[in-house]
Amino acid sequence: MKTFNIWYISSFLISLFVIIPVVTVFLSYFENTSDYSELLKNTFLFEYISNSLILLLGVLIMTLIIGVTTAYLVSFYSFPFSNFFKWALILGFAVPPYIYAYSLTAFFENYGTAYSILKSLFGDGNYNKHIPKFDGILGAILSISFSIYAYVYILTRASFYYQSNNLIELGKNLGFSKLKSLFKIIIPSARPAIVAGLSLVAMETLSDFGAVDFFSINTLTTAIYNSWLSFDDLAFSNQLSFYLLIFIFGLFSIEKFSRRSAKYHSPLQGGFKTRKKIELYGLNSFFAFLLCFIIFFLSFIFPISQMLYWTIIYPKNFFDLNIYDLILNTLLLVSLSSIILIIFSFISNYGNRVSKSKILNFLTTISISGYALPGIILAVAYITFVAWFDNTIINFFEIQSIKKIFIGSILGLVLAYFVRFYSLSCNGIKSSYEKINKTLDETAYLAGYSKLKTFLNIHIPYLKSSIFFVIILISLEIIRELPITLILRPFNFETFATTAYIYASQDLLEAAAVPSLFLVLIASLFIFLISRYILKEENE
Amino acid sequence: MNKNFFEIKNVDFQVGGKTKVKNLSLHIEKKGEIICLLGPSGIGKTTILRSIAGLEKISNGSISLKSKVLSSKNDYVEPENRNIALSFQENALFPHYTIKKNIYFGADRNKGNGVRKIDPRKIIKILNIEKILNKYPHQISAGEAQRVSLTRALISNPDLLLLDEPLSNIDENFKEEIQVKLKQILKDHKITTIIVTHDSYEAFYLGDKCGIILEKKLKQFDEPYNVYHYPSSINVVNFLNRGVLVPAKVTGQYTLQNDDLGLIKGNFVNEHKVGTKVKLLLQPEDLEHDDKSNLQLDVVDKKFKGTNFIYTLKTKSNKNISVFVHSHHVHQHQINDKFGIKNPIHIKHLVCF
Repeated sequence: MKTFNIWYISSFLISLFVIIPVVTVFLSYFENTSDYSELLKNTFLFEYISNSLILLLGVLIMTLIIGVTTAYLVSFYSFPFSNFFKWALILGFAVPPYIYAYSLTAFFENYGTAYSILKSLFGDGNYNKHIPKFDGILGAILSISFSIYAYVYILTRASFYYQSNNLIELGKNLGFSKLKSLFKIIIPSARPAIVAGLSLVAMETLSDFGAVDFFSINTLTTAIYNSWLSFDDLAFSNQLSFYLLIFIFGLFSIEKFSRRSAKYHSPLQGGFKTRKKIELYGLNSFFAFLLCFIIFFLSFIFPISQMLYWTIIYPKNFFDLNIYDLILNTLLLVSLSSIILIIFSFISNYGNRVSKSKILNFLTTISISGYALPGIILAVAYITFVAWFDNTIINFFEIQSIKKIFIGSILGLVLAYFVRFYSLSCNGIKSSYEKINKTLDETAYLAGYSKLKTFLNIHIPYLKSSIFFVIILISLEIIRELPITLILRPFNFETFATTAYIYASQDLLEAAAVPSLFLVLIASLFIFLISRYILKEENE
Repeated sequence: MNKNFFEIKNVDFQVGGKTKVKNLSLHIEKKGEIICLLGPSGIGKTTILRSIAGLEKISNGSISLKSKVLSSKNDYVEPENRNIALSFQENALFPHYTIKKNIYFGADRNKGNGVRKIDPRKIIKILNIEKILNKYPHQISAGEAQRVSLTRALISNPDLLLLDEPLSNIDENFKEEIQVKLKQILKDHKITTIIVTHDSYEAFYLGDKCGIILEKKLKQFDEPYNVYHYPSSINVVNFLNRGVLVPAKVTGQYTLQNDDLGLIKGNFVNEHKVGTKVKLLLQPEDLEHDDKSNLQLDVVDKKFKGTNFIYTLKTKSNKNISVFVHSHHVHQHQINDKFGIKNPIHIKHLVCF
């Protein structure tokens, strides 16, 4: 048997790409840093870590409550618009935490939108004192929570959706009240899904850069960025990354573990019947509606209205913005990344399918762990590595510097996206690929189909919709992505996210509104297109 | 070169590095013959079919079809070039195609090579799947899926047809009818077939020959009548579960003596010296009921099987033996009644181990 073939080489390459940033961070930990960083370490490191942890705790509690409550309501009860909320509640995803933060500030700041509303209602007055201020760590917790509670919502809802009817009937049979059933049966059996959702939330929270940066909170991510940008101390940046990575890997393991147990709850083939929902009436029905509406309003309507409001009252910003260029840039990044990601995902999945090799399987596992790497770490480690490679290897051979090819270039950006989003695309293809029974391939072979013909005539048609799903998902992630794009983009190359960030960091929130609004609208469209897949109801 | 239509010669069948069946040899002499492989589940019957189809490789021996080696240590013909059809036990139907498209998948591979084609419409009618042609696989029952899978395999005009538990999901009351139809199709079109099953009645009915696979080996390969009446070993008897072994002593050229049943007469299948102690195979149809006989045993169980009763009787030495009685037999015996056996007992073939 040939051991070295295309499957191995490509899987190995991808794994290498993912491994490089981790190794770079690890090695830099032992490197000497500047005196300045010694000072920082002694004075601020504790603050970075404790801020990160407070933020984490706050977001976890918020998302747990919001995600599980809404998932419970829409899964088990029928009330006005419950079917609408079922998917509307995932729209919060379209608003990245930093854009939520801009809206929050824009509304509640002194002489902000809230002030204007009060003024137009009740005339002039000193309202600023009475308007609550959501900034600092509280603002960050709110922004991140409303933006990503959908992770908990989606996974919990899926678990509720597939929860066996027997289990719920068993509760009734034992004479449990609805509340007792919820806490004794429904939530415990969805626990792996809830934990998986929460660990995703935790990973996103720890990697968040935009919102905490906007609220000037010193967390590990902002410190990584600042020590690289302000103090030009890559080594210290990487040391901070090291601390963050320890957290992340802990979470990553929890997530993997609970996913595995969550599989236990997946329905048997053909044995699944849609459960009839309980019809709510009167006050109960109103409260269920109200709660879902409030969450939907706060997570989606509120930020989008704020952005819209500012776009309308400051139309100049709209016309100043070079939307055509931004769309073109976004399209370029999305299409390049999608093509590369999809191609490699197919190579890896197909390779695993036909070769049954354990090493290959292991390499794939490494390659998909890139999603756990916070964008900021990835970007800084990437720069560190290219700089090192350039200084030692390239210099040694006395050829031209490669820095320009890989840093501040489209290529560099796409490579970093690749590492970050490979698991999205690989797993997206994989989950449908595994649904094609291997005997189907064998049936095709026996009917005289070659491997290529089987791939083209059986696999591709079957996987069409998941390819579409993956492309949209990648696009959604890329358009929301901030730190990687911010750090690695070419000079004067902007996306909606970086434009919004740059305006916001110059305190020009009203100018940040236009690109933010575009970003959210496009992201909403993407979410709308794939909501069917996200909610996992396509097979029934 | 051998002249057998199909031949397996000294092959070890492996899956994932584990040997399932060792050193198996068998052959099909002529085109159109049907053989059945019987064995307990997990023994490797499916592996044998997969290896013949080329989905698993072999590392020793050879598999050849129409005098051409398909698999051996050095030769390997890709599955797509073998013209062997395999109907999988799990009915691999393409979920994104209709039943009709599934059935015709691969039907055109032998177009225009002079093979007498099987008329798909005929098979569709015989197997009664006309009504589901426009449905998708997830909309039909397991039994229907199995018939679809069978249809697809049949109409692809293979040189060799492999069926893995082809009727396992089909309703009991419909099964016999399908068995008859299947045999008819296979014989009419001279389709050489290897069928894997764990149902011995199915194997005996469909197979021109039956192979019994036990303990990693092909224990017996013979015509169904011979497998049933002349099982080659105690294991085969136990596997087929159609009789009990009772201790006996050879007393003459045609006689045996058992402590509970007395004298037993018949023709020995194998030679045994006078005086040796043997185990005699007693099958339910070997004993005859006779109320007047002086050999009376206790009834411990009675099963009504429609055409007959099977009485389970207990001998003095606490051994249970079964006896068939026609269901029209006028009087019935209840549990704990006495039940007479005609003696001396006469058995046509004496199978002893």
